[in-house]
Amino acid sequence: MPYFGSEEMVKELKRALSNPNVQADRLRYKNYITKVIRYMTQGLDVSALFMDMVKASATVDIAQKKLVYLYMCTYASDKPDLALLAINTLRKDCADPNPMVRGLALRNMCNFRMPGMTEYIEQPIVAGLRDKASYVRRVAVLGCAKMHSLQPNTDIDGTIVNELYALLRDPDPVVVVNCLRALEEILKDEGGVVINKPIAHHLLNRMKDLDSWAQSEVLTFLLRYRPRSDDELFDILSLLDSFLQSAHAHVAVATLRLFLQLASAHPAVQADALLCTSAPLLATCGAASRELRFAGLCHVQQVMRSQPGLFGTHYKRFFCGYSEPTYIKFRKMEILVELVNDENVALVLEELRSYCTDVSPELAQAAIAAIGRIAQTYSEKCLDILTGLLALKQDHITSAVIQMFRDLVWFCPQSTAAVCQTVEACVDSPQDSEALLWLLGEHGDQISSAPYVMEGYIDGLKTELSSAVKMELLTASVKMFLCRPAETQDMLGRLLHYCIEEESDVCVRDRALLCYRLLQRGVEETRKVVTGPKSDPSMSVLTGRQEEPISQWASTFNTLGPLSGCDLCPQTAVISAADQPSSSAEKELLPESTDVTLSSPDDTEEEISLSLGPPLSHETFEKMWLDLEILQRQTMGFPRPRTALDTLQAALQLVKIQTLAFTPGATVPWKAYIYTRSTGTLILAELLQGDQHAPGIDESLVVSVKQQPVNQHAIRGFVSILKGVLQTLNVDSS
Amino acid sequence: MSASAVFVLDLKGKVLICRNYKGDVDMSEIDHFFTLLMQQEEEGLVCPVMSHGNVHFLWIKHSNLYLVATTNKNSNASLVYAFLYKLVEVFTEYFKELEEESIQDNFVVVYELLDELMDFGFPQTTDSKILQEYITQKGNKLEVAKTKVPTTVTNAVSWRSEGIKYKKNEVFIDVIESINVLVNANGSVMSSDIVGSIKLKTMLSGMPELRLGLNDRMLFALTGRKNQTILHCLSDELMKRISPTNVKPLIWIESVIEKFSHSRVEIMYMKTDLIQSLSFSLFQAKGQFKKQSVANNVEIRVPVPSDADSPKFKTSTGHAKYVPEKNLVVWSIKSFPGGKEFLMRAHFGLPSVENHELEGRPPITVKFEIPYFTVSGIQVRYMKIIEKSGYQALPWVRYITQSGDYQLRTNS
Repeated sequence: MPYFGSEEMVKELKRALSNPNVQADRLRYKNYITKVIRYMTQGLDVSALFMDMVKASATVDIAQKKLVYLYMCTYASDKPDLALLAINTLRKDCADPNPMVRGLALRNMCNFRMPGMTEYIEQPIVAGLRDKASYVRRVAVLGCAKMHSLQPNTDIDGTIVNELYALLRDPDPVVVVNCLRALEEILKDEGGVVINKPIAHHLLNRMKDLDSWAQSEVLTFLLRYRPRSDDELFDILSLLDSFLQSAHAHVAVATLRLFLQLASAHPAVQADALLCTSAPLLATCGAASRELRFAGLCHVQQVMRSQPGLFGTHYKRFFCGYSEPTYIKFRKMEILVELVNDENVALVLEELRSYCTDVSPELAQAAIAAIGRIAQTYSEKCLDILTGLLALKQDHITSAVIQMFRDLVWFCPQSTAAVCQTVEACVDSPQDSEALLWLLGEHGDQISSAPYVMEGYIDGLKTELSSAVKMELLTASVKMFLCRPAETQDMLGRLLHYCIEEESDVCVRDRALLCYRLLQRGVEETRKVVTGPKSDPSMSVLTGRQEEPISQWASTFNTLGPLSGCDLCPQTAVISAADQPSSSAEKELLPESTDVTLSSPDDTEEEISLSLGPPLSHETFEKMWLDLEILQRQTMGFPRPRTALDTLQAALQLVKIQTLAFTPGATVPWKAYIYTRSTGTLILAELLQGDQHAPGIDESLVVSVKQQPVNQHAIRGFVSILKGVLQTLNVDSS
Repeated sequence: MSASAVFVLDLKGKVLICRNYKGDVDMSEIDHFFTLLMQQEEEGLVCPVMSHGNVHFLWIKHSNLYLVATTNKNSNASLVYAFLYKLVEVFTEYFKELEEESIQDNFVVVYELLDELMDFGFPQTTDSKILQEYITQKGNKLEVAKTKVPTTVTNAVSWRSEGIKYKKNEVFIDVIESINVLVNANGSVMSSDIVGSIKLKTMLSGMPELRLGLNDRMLFALTGRKNQTILHCLSDELMKRISPTNVKPLIWIESVIEKFSHSRVEIMYMKTDLIQSLSFSLFQAKGQFKKQSVANNVEIRVPVPSDADSPKFKTSTGHAKYVPEKNLVVWSIKSFPGGKEFLMRAHFGLPSVENHELEGRPPITVKFEIPYFTVSGIQVRYMKIIEKSGYQALPWVRYITQSGDYQLRTNS
């Protein structure tokens, strides 16, 4: 309740409204009504005045009418019995000679959201559809949709649907578009409004008359239409050509989406359309409104998934302006990283470097991460910059840089020496402990001061709060002990003693006990367990992107999806996965596996269904892959299918297995990373062929599966489905 | 499209006014908006799209208001933003300034407008010219419903009333080019482009169709019978034809900042914080456009540290003003002929104690307007008007080059 005395207020208003003297003075009367609405806006409950307000609707003053209608719409659902009394007045207004009044009454009557309204509004709506004023027709058409939404489970009224289809030929453009919108709502369960050839052509011809909202929406509806022949297709495309360059970004983007969809069989046309739209898209990226600019950038990112080179020459447009909000800057940096090439790398890096010293630590860290990603291709230049940043001695910068060093060493072993040298020089101010400790442990032999830094950590162990750091410290010390035993032995002893005797965190204690017992077994045993690979260049497959087919993203283009990031709107992604058009060729290839639910041949009673769910980003996948343990490793017993890689990808997609990344065709070892979902669990898998570590079976494909959360049943099902697909492809290709 | 509801919130997240269009999203969902926003602001990761459950909030901020649209569908985001900006535009046209007070003072009109602008989540009549024909602000006056609906509302052409008559048929064409420039601290031009637009103000009778011919095969058939057609074309294509390289920044600014400190010992036990360091700056602006042209209303905004005091200025032309609340020095020059150079000396006192908080280094921004001049050299060659009655119309063409996003970065 906003303030005390509201009951008094309502009573007073009630008295005033029912006072005949006030009612006689129309201006005073209206002022009281305005007051009621003001209280309503402020959140005060004035529903007690319903009867008096209904009486006030009988007026010639249109503004007063609107206010009263608004009042009635707001409280109708609370007071359905009283609202019924108002309906008579409204129905009378629906027959008013003034079309404004007719439209107004009809619109508000349809806005009453209460059960049982349908029987009262049906007749006025049908009359409204045939009204001679287009203003009323507009309202009536949407009224049909509102009526349906009041009773979503009733049968669809065929006569109204037919009438709406007929009204698509209305001279008023807004009526036409409203018809589409209403039909879409009413026929939602049947797949929405049907766009056949005459309707499509009619709409195309009316395009020029429509306002920009309508154009945008009609273009979206036209996505449903499949032209019969190439001639028709090209006629449509040339008709829409001018809209690609529309002044309104949303129209241009909607047109682009339609082009991409219609011309899915003509890659050259798609490429042309993308080229054409690049200008309006870039203009949106520089739009005055931040949100539209953001939307533009998100769409640019989508386009770049298939055509990374399209914006290459315009990279300077993605330099950040000072006053731009961080969400725009983040996107711009992501785009810049993708656009780097031999010619512009110097300028881009110089620009990114200037962001590293930004006031906002988030931005600075993001900029450093961006440089780190570029470093995987241009390591030397980036290393110089990153090293230079260390000299600034800012905590957040140093920690971000060291994290980048760790990733760099992991992905590009050739830069290890340079990184070690730098770390050597900067370790006096350790910041991000985990990454630094990992580096020290892994490459302690190349960093001469490593044991002393580590000793500093061990001495300060009592004040260390994070258990993750302690665990990393344990592992790193053991590794260090293996390569430089003389310098490390003493402190390792102290460390183990402390962690086993005094540490309260169970995880740390267990890790310490593990290390201790390992060391008891002997140095060689320990070495076998503790030392793993020092780097894995093939993992960079995950971070490097390859070109995706346009169909991958075209279905969510120009929606909320690209903006909110796929994690935010799962239902979108599911829809997009279901929408994926499967070409007939693939169906022939895999006649039996088009069904999502497969019964596994190995285990007949177990049945499992896979689904795609929201797509995983490369980063998430990478992180999960590194975090999880391998649950099952299985040799398939046959080599990978010799079909083209996109066929493999498409085939896997059919059984709802998403391919994230794979190495190009002929490389050895060949790797592919795939994932899928099944009843609440996420399955990640790696396909590997020609692993050097396991000779003898190098012709056979090895599958390693990781899962979160663990569900053995799902894994068995997944492996058998995967096996089925690969075998089918093998049979097909041989 | 389809927005379920539209809200106008004040800076504290209180709903000032709202309109439930579709009824498929609970109106109380808006309570989550502000908490989400606060949370994101704390993390420094504000995003114009936010989601709570299956409800998505798309929002913009205008002066001291948040305009929020909610939806539970995968609707077209750019369309929703465009609509929210349209709301701002319409409200601004009605109330001069859109802010908390104007919403509260005019809530009746706001309700009326919200009712007409959108129905069931779909934009309907959004042209403020047409809206003004039948939604008028007459505060306390009674208005009897007009017996005639404005023809526009029922017209086939939604943006123009029929039967408009002018004594003199005229068209005013503004060719406007905004220059966006980003110059690095070391003086290299990072990016520069022109965004060109053609604006028309037509005073033409009836329902004319207008065609514009521009030079160099740049023919735009502006078949819009709209009152105002804005045509955006990205400059690159224009520029390619005019000059293969990028545009030269039209106004060039060089700044020298010297810092020196000297101590005055007045009392024996004086502390260091009485020692002042003085900053002395010299700014030089140079017009790099054609000699015949004159840039008007040039405004050069130079950022200064937030702890600067006792400003002193000396300028060779125009005048400089210190705006402490924005930490800016604004140097305005009424008219700036091409090829000239002007100087400003600014002198600030700075406390010798270094400000520990990191401060950003905002760039120098420049605003200007150069009439009768286009960078791309675009020209209107002819204009044709086709109307039933076949009258002649007078075209008035004006070329303006103005500053868009014109930034020159500074070294600390």
